[in-house]
Amino acid sequence: MKTLLVILGSLPLLAQQPPAPTAPATMPAPVTPPAPAATTSDAPSPVPSTEPMFSGWIDLGYRWQTGVGGSLDTYRSIINLGSGPKFLGTDFTLSDPKHRWFDTIQVRADSWGDEPSSSVHVEAKKSGVYDFNADYRDFAYFNFLPTYADPLFSQGIVLNEQSFDTRRKIAALSLDIRPGHWWVPYFGWDHDSSSGDGATVFVTDGNNYPVPNTLRDSTDLYRAGVRFEKRHFHVTLEEGGTVFKSDQNLYQNPGSTNYGNFSSAIFGQTLDLTSLLAAYGIGGSSAYSKALLTANPASWLNIYGQFLYSQPNTNVHYQQTNTGNLYLQSQILFYSSEQQVINAAAEQPHTAGSLGAEIRPFKGLRIIENWLTDRLHDAGSSAALGTLLVTGSPLAMSSLIASTLVSNYSQESLDVFFDASSKITLHGGYRYVWGDALYAFLPPAGLVSSDQEQLRQNIGLGSVTYRPAQKLSVTGEVEGGSSSGVYFRTSLYDYQKVRAQVHYQPLQSLSVSADFTLLNNQNPLAGTNYDYSSSQGSLSLYWAPRASKIFDIQGNYSRSDLRSNIGYLDPGTLSPEVSRYRDNANTGSALVDIAWPHGKRFAPKLAAGGSFFISTGSRPTSYYQPQAKLWLPLGKHVSWFSEWRYYGYGEAFYLYEGFRTHLVTTGVRFTP
Amino acid sequence: MKHRHAVLLGFVLGAAPFWVAAQALPPGYIGSQTCNGCHEDIYNGIAKSPHHLVDTDKKRGWDGRACEACHGPGQKHAESADATLIQNPGKLTAAAADKICLNCHLNTPTHVGLLESSHAHNQISCTACHKVHSSEPLVVRKAEATNKLCASCHLNEWAQFQRPFHHKLPEGDMSCVDCHNPHGSIRPAMLQIFAANEPGCFGCHGDKRGPFTFEHAPVRFQGCQACHEPHGSANPRMLIRADVRFVCLECHANLPSAPVKVMGVVPPSFHDLRSPVFQNCTVCHQKIHGSHVDRNLLK
Repeated sequence: MKTLLVILGSLPLLAQQPPAPTAPATMPAPVTPPAPAATTSDAPSPVPSTEPMFSGWIDLGYRWQTGVGGSLDTYRSIINLGSGPKFLGTDFTLSDPKHRWFDTIQVRADSWGDEPSSSVHVEAKKSGVYDFNADYRDFAYFNFLPTYADPLFSQGIVLNEQSFDTRRKIAALSLDIRPGHWWVPYFGWDHDSSSGDGATVFVTDGNNYPVPNTLRDSTDLYRAGVRFEKRHFHVTLEEGGTVFKSDQNLYQNPGSTNYGNFSSAIFGQTLDLTSLLAAYGIGGSSAYSKALLTANPASWLNIYGQFLYSQPNTNVHYQQTNTGNLYLQSQILFYSSEQQVINAAAEQPHTAGSLGAEIRPFKGLRIIENWLTDRLHDAGSSAALGTLLVTGSPLAMSSLIASTLVSNYSQESLDVFFDASSKITLHGGYRYVWGDALYAFLPPAGLVSSDQEQLRQNIGLGSVTYRPAQKLSVTGEVEGGSSSGVYFRTSLYDYQKVRAQVHYQPLQSLSVSADFTLLNNQNPLAGTNYDYSSSQGSLSLYWAPRASKIFDIQGNYSRSDLRSNIGYLDPGTLSPEVSRYRDNANTGSALVDIAWPHGKRFAPKLAAGGSFFISTGSRPTSYYQPQAKLWLPLGKHVSWFSEWRYYGYGEAFYLYEGFRTHLVTTGVRFTP
Repeated sequence: MKHRHAVLLGFVLGAAPFWVAAQALPPGYIGSQTCNGCHEDIYNGIAKSPHHLVDTDKKRGWDGRACEACHGPGQKHAESADATLIQNPGKLTAAAADKICLNCHLNTPTHVGLLESSHAHNQISCTACHKVHSSEPLVVRKAEATNKLCASCHLNEWAQFQRPFHHKLPEGDMSCVDCHNPHGSIRPAMLQIFAANEPGCFGCHGDKRGPFTFEHAPVRFQGCQACHEPHGSANPRMLIRADVRFVCLECHANLPSAPVKVMGVVPPSFHDLRSPVFQNCTVCHQKIHGSHVDRNLLK
C-alpha cells in the first residue's frame, strides 16, 4: 500500500518538464511580460475533458396572426410577420472532447419558415489549426407604403410608384488558418444579392408612366490575406476583389394603355404608353489592396497605419423599346415609338489611408497624432443612340457625355489625454479638416456643368471622464467646429456637439444610466440661413433584486427634439421659402420578468412589457408594441412557451396608413 | 498509524511539483494555481475562455501565471489577503487598463483603427465589452446580446431604433457591429468597411455601390446619412425629412447664376410643387443613388 501511494504521489513529478532558466531577476511589470523563458509547472489543461458533446436548445412553434386592421401594405412594410408553423430558432454547441476535427462547433439560427428575416450562423474552430465562420441571412425587403410616392392619390388611385417586394440574401464565409500563430493566412467570401419585383416609373419628356419592373442584383467579394503578428509589430496584407451584376427590367405588355401621371393634354393630344421593354445589363468588378500596420517600437510609442486602395468599375448596356403617343419637349414633336441603346462605363480609383501615433512621454499623459486621407476619382462616360419614329419617319438621335467626380478629403488631429488622477481623465484636442470636390460634365449643357467646392473646418474637442468609484462614472464631451467652406447647405458649418453619459450602480441589483446629446448647427450664409438644433436625453433603469430569482425590471425612457429651419427656393417661382422640420418624440420601453418563486424545477416564468413611440411635429406618429411571454417547463428537457404581441401604428396626417394586429405564438423548447 | 504516515507521505510528494514550480517562478509571482485556492470561480471561468492559452502556451511567457499577466505579481496579496496589494485593472483609468490588454493584443488587425475610435477617446476600456473572467465567450456574439450590450451605454441610439422605420436590430436580425466597428475605423462614426475602403453600407446594399456613370455627389461626399437616419425614423425609407421634396430642396436651392458657394442647384421651373407629381422627387429621379445611364438620374 505504501509503495502504491508513493508511486501515485510521485507521478506528477515524473510528468514535470525540467525547470528552465528562471525569469530575469528584476520583477517584470505586469504590462511588460518577461521573455518567454520562465517555465513553471505544466498547468493541467484547463479545458475540462468531459464536456458534453451537445448543449443548447431548439425552439419550434406556430404563430397566428389575427388579421390586420387598417393598411396591410404598411403592416407588411414595417412588420411583415405572418401565420404558420415556424422554426423559431436554435443555439447549440457541439464539442469534441478528443479534439479530432474540431474543438467546438457553434450553430445559431433564427426565424425560419416564411419569415421576413431568417439567419443561420456557424462557427467551427480547432485551436491553432483553423477558425471558420459562416453566416447567412435572408431578408424580405418589402416596401409598399401608400403615401410614399403616389402622385395619383387625388384621383383615387393608391399606388406607391417606387415600391418593391424583394428578398435580400447576405452570406459570408471566412477561414483563418493557424490562428494564434505568428503568421495567419485567411480567406473570405461575402455575397449580397436581391431579387424580386415592384413598381417604378418610366420617364419621358412629356409624361411619366408607372410600370412594373423586375429587380435582380448580386455582389460577390473574394479576399485572401495573411497576418503577421509579432510581439512588437503586426502587418496585415490583403488582396480582394468583387464581381457585381445587376439586371432590372421595366415592362408594359402590348395591348394596354398607360396614361401616366400627367393627364393634361399637350397641344390637344393625350400622351400615353402602349408598350415598353427597358432592360439594364450592368456588370462590374473591382480589385482592392489593403495593408495594415500596428507597432510598438518603444514602451512609450504605438504606431498605427493603414493603406487602402480599391478600383471598382462598371460596364452598362441599356436597351429600351417603347411605343405610344409620346412627346419630345426639346424639339416640340410627337412620336409613336422609340428605340434606344446606351453603353456606359465608370471607374472609381479610391485611395484611403491613415497614419498615427500614440506617444506616452510620462505616466498619465498620452498624445495622439493622427492623419487621415480619403481620395476618390470617379470617371464615367455614356454613349446613347436612339431612333424615334415621327409620323412614320425615323429620327436618329445620339449623345456622348462624360462625367467626373473627385473628392479629396483629409484631416489632421492632435489629442492630448491627461490622467489628473486615477479617477479623472481630461482630454483636449484639435482637428483640421480640409478637402476639395469637383463634379463636372462634358460637353457642358444644362443648368450647371461644373461644381467645385472646398472644405475647410477647424474643430476643437474636449472631454472629461470622472470615475470616483467603480459603481459611478460620468463622461462629458464637447466638440465645436467652425467652417470657411463646406460642400452642401446642410453640412455641418458652425456647430457644437455635446454628449454626457452617467452610469451609477448604487446596489449590486440596481443600475441607472443616463445619456444626453445635443447638436446645434448654423450656416448663416445668405440664402441658406440654416438653423438646426437637436437634443435627446435618455434614462435607463435595471433592477434585479435577489439576482432576479423572483423578478427583475428594466426600463428606458427617451425624449428627443429636433428643429430645423433652412431657406430654399420654390423652383416654380424662385421665391424664397423656409423648410421647417420638427420632430418631438417620446420613446419608452419596459420589461418585467417574473419567476414563480415556489415552483422549483417546474416554475413558470412570465415576461411582460413593450415599447411605445409617440411623436409630434412634421409627421406625427404613434407606434405601440406591447408584449407578454409565458414560459412553463414541462420536464427536464422540454419547456412550453406562448407569446402575445400587439402592433399598433398610426399617423395623424395619413390616417389610412395606420394598422393594428395581434400575433400569438406558441411553441416548445427542447433542451437536450 | 502506518496508514496515516503513508497518506502524509503521498500528500507531500503529490504537492512537490507545485513547490518545485513555485521555486521556478520569478520573484513575487505565485502562479495561477495559488490564485485558484481563493478565486476558484474566476479560475474556472478563465479555464473555459480563450485566455487559458496564456496559462498553457509557453511561447507567451506567462505559462502558469495567467492571472498575474494582468494583475501583476500576487505574492504580497496572497500572503496578506489584502485587496490593495494586487493590481485591479477595474480600478485603473481606462487607458491604464487597456494598456494591460494591448500588451498582448495591440499588434493585431483589430486595433489598427484605434486612434479613430471614439471608444478609445472616451475612455471606454476593453473590459467594458469583453468579460475577461467569464466562462462565457469573451464577447457576446448573438445579435440580440450584442445590441443589449451596446444599448447599455448608447441609450439614445437604441431609442431611435424604436421608431417605426429602422434597421432590424430590435428584432434581433441585425446587430450594431454589422454596421459599426467598435474598435475603430477609418470611416466616420466607426462604420464598418466594405472592399478595403468603402462604407460598410454597401456590404448589404450592393446595388447602391456603383461606381455610377452619373453620381449623386452627396452619396460620395457625405454618405448615406446625408438623406437617411440609419438608426430609425418616423419617416418612410428612414429619411431625414417627412416629405421627400424637402430632403432634396434643402440642398437643391442655389441659383445657377449666383456664385455657387455650395453644391446643388435649384430645379428647373417646370417643377411645380403644387402638383403631386413633383412632391416626391424620386417619382421621376428614381436613380437617386446614382445612375448608370442618365445624367438627371431619371433612369
